[in-house]
Amino acid sequence: MTGYEQMENAIEVQGVSKRFVRQIDRRNSLKERVMRGKAKNSQDFWAVKGATFNIPKGSVYGIIGHNGSGKSTLLKMIAGIYRPTEGSIVTQGRVAALIELGAGFHPEMSGLENIQLNGAILGLSKSEIADVTGEIIEFSGLRQFINDPVKHYSSGMYVRLGFAVAVHMKPDVLVVDEVLAVGDEEFQRKCFDHLYKLRRAGKTIVVVSHGLGQLEGLCDEIAWMDHGVLQETGMPTDVIAHYLSKVNADEANSTPRLDSARADTELRAGTQALQLRTATIIGSQGETINHAETGNTFAIRLTYSTAEPVVGPNFRIALQHESGPLVTMVSNHRIEKDLGTLNGEGTLDIAFVNNPLLPGRYRVHIDVFDDSGSRLIDNWNDAVEFPVRSVFGEIGQGYVHLQSEFTLK
Amino acid sequence: MEALNYTQRVLSEIYQRRALIWAFANRDFATRYRSSALGWAWSLLQPLASLLVYAAVFSLVFKIQAPPLGADPERTSFAAFLFTGMVTWNVFSSLLMLSMTELKSSGDLLRKVNFPAWTPILGASIVQLIQVILELAVLIAMFIFVLNVGWTWILAIPILIATALFAQGLGLMLSILNAHYGDVRYVVTVSLGALYFLTPVLYPMSLVEDTASWLAWIVKLNPMSWFVESMHDVMYSLQPPAWWVIPALLVFGAVTFLIGLKIFNRYSEDIGELL
Repeated sequence: MTGYEQMENAIEVQGVSKRFVRQIDRRNSLKERVMRGKAKNSQDFWAVKGATFNIPKGSVYGIIGHNGSGKSTLLKMIAGIYRPTEGSIVTQGRVAALIELGAGFHPEMSGLENIQLNGAILGLSKSEIADVTGEIIEFSGLRQFINDPVKHYSSGMYVRLGFAVAVHMKPDVLVVDEVLAVGDEEFQRKCFDHLYKLRRAGKTIVVVSHGLGQLEGLCDEIAWMDHGVLQETGMPTDVIAHYLSKVNADEANSTPRLDSARADTELRAGTQALQLRTATIIGSQGETINHAETGNTFAIRLTYSTAEPVVGPNFRIALQHESGPLVTMVSNHRIEKDLGTLNGEGTLDIAFVNNPLLPGRYRVHIDVFDDSGSRLIDNWNDAVEFPVRSVFGEIGQGYVHLQSEFTLK
Repeated sequence: MEALNYTQRVLSEIYQRRALIWAFANRDFATRYRSSALGWAWSLLQPLASLLVYAAVFSLVFKIQAPPLGADPERTSFAAFLFTGMVTWNVFSSLLMLSMTELKSSGDLLRKVNFPAWTPILGASIVQLIQVILELAVLIAMFIFVLNVGWTWILAIPILIATALFAQGLGLMLSILNAHYGDVRYVVTVSLGALYFLTPVLYPMSLVEDTASWLAWIVKLNPMSWFVESMHDVMYSLQPPAWWVIPALLVFGAVTFLIGLKIFNRYSEDIGELL
């Protein structure tokens, strides 16, 4: 039964919950504390609810889940940065956390001094740091720059040094948050090799990532978090498959506002010479659709009515990714398309040819300006929202798929 | 007995973290003095400028008389008297303020790595000691200039250590309070401004003793008066204070420090979320 002997745990998570008090209900100043009294805990938010699992010594353990599923909170509790509100986490040995590479670096100090500082922050003694300094410099490949202040480093050099420092601090448990995708191909290879080396040396690695493929190859076991609740732990292939089917089912069930009409009672900005009425996401043939696909044409259909003839208006359509960034803004003036004079009721289609948007959820904001492009006629924020799915089955990085050509010359 | 155990625990904890405290001290040293070639000179400019202004205003305008110099009762030196108090006061006020700012600026790191939050504060305080030594050197030069030299100077070291311990203890308490409530810093700034005038820095203690009794009581109960008066004794009047004074100040400072650290640890458990 050697298998059971190896099952000694590096980390035991027992009924762990984490509560955050929402910012709106926190007393951030003495003044507020005095004026508004003690904060009531009615706005609690449970980021993690009753998670129990063990991480065996010498394993690579992955945690997956959607944004806000509590996986990073869980990781921070394992790293000792957050304290569980309920339950306990027992870790054996020194835990080093890679929540952000080079987090403790100081720009005025040289690479060498920063190695010493970061080593001390991660809990090493002076002599322990001295022992690993050579290895770190070697691993980072920054020997000739090691006495320069890190403010002169490129971001790639910075990250390389950060990774080198963290993995050489002889941790018993290494906690990694989304930082595996660093540096160039060669350095990434080196990072993975080093992680495997740590694992062979019996170290435990806990990693949170969105890169499911990466995790599948690296991990011995995976835990899946959903809205703060641990769903499943087990073999990477199984858990990832279950997770993905849940994600797809969720997307099919949720009803993004692909079609919406505007209430007449709504207060509107602009001159209102033209009023936007409805917005609908449609397919290339004008059919209604419940999602757009990367690479395939889709369109936004607007209906409007005018109070007076409107000459040469400019329709500006902004697309915002669900995570916040404005991905793009299109307008008919920019492509020098004159819509002529609009009078009465009408319909306008804005097509996105060979949709380059990568999978995700996008919101549509619409502004209508007059022919000078400076006076607002009507504005409709968050008019519709649509999901984009991939037809190739891969998710991709970033927001857009650029048409690219690779040519050997 | 428990207090002794606690003291021992604190000391061994600080000893264990010495590499980290030292690393933070190095970092702060780099920011404060390395990025500007005149870092040292700048750090003395502020105290010397206020010395000049206060010395002029309080000796020429308000005609405040300094007590007689220890070496020669016929002479006085208001500037030397004033700077003795200022050096002591600066130990106190600078440690309070930097404790609060240092903890706030470590927030980014504390959200990402788990380490004791008091270590950057102690590191920054060590660097502040350089400033104290610089100011002390200027003070000694002033006393040599007015020919007021004595063996009692050596007693300034334990007095300043006691002052630093007291200030650090208070600084730890205030910094964690400031992490919870961000406007504590402003309250402290204002209070320091008022406390400065309730400490015999700009005037000798004898002047207050002659005035309203309640005011004299406030000044006498202000702990900073004890430190400043002791410094006046050993540096300016060249008189050792009563035998128990310095040990008492050291105990007072040490107890404040230990209590400060205990309170700090008690309320810094969720520091990663607070900052």
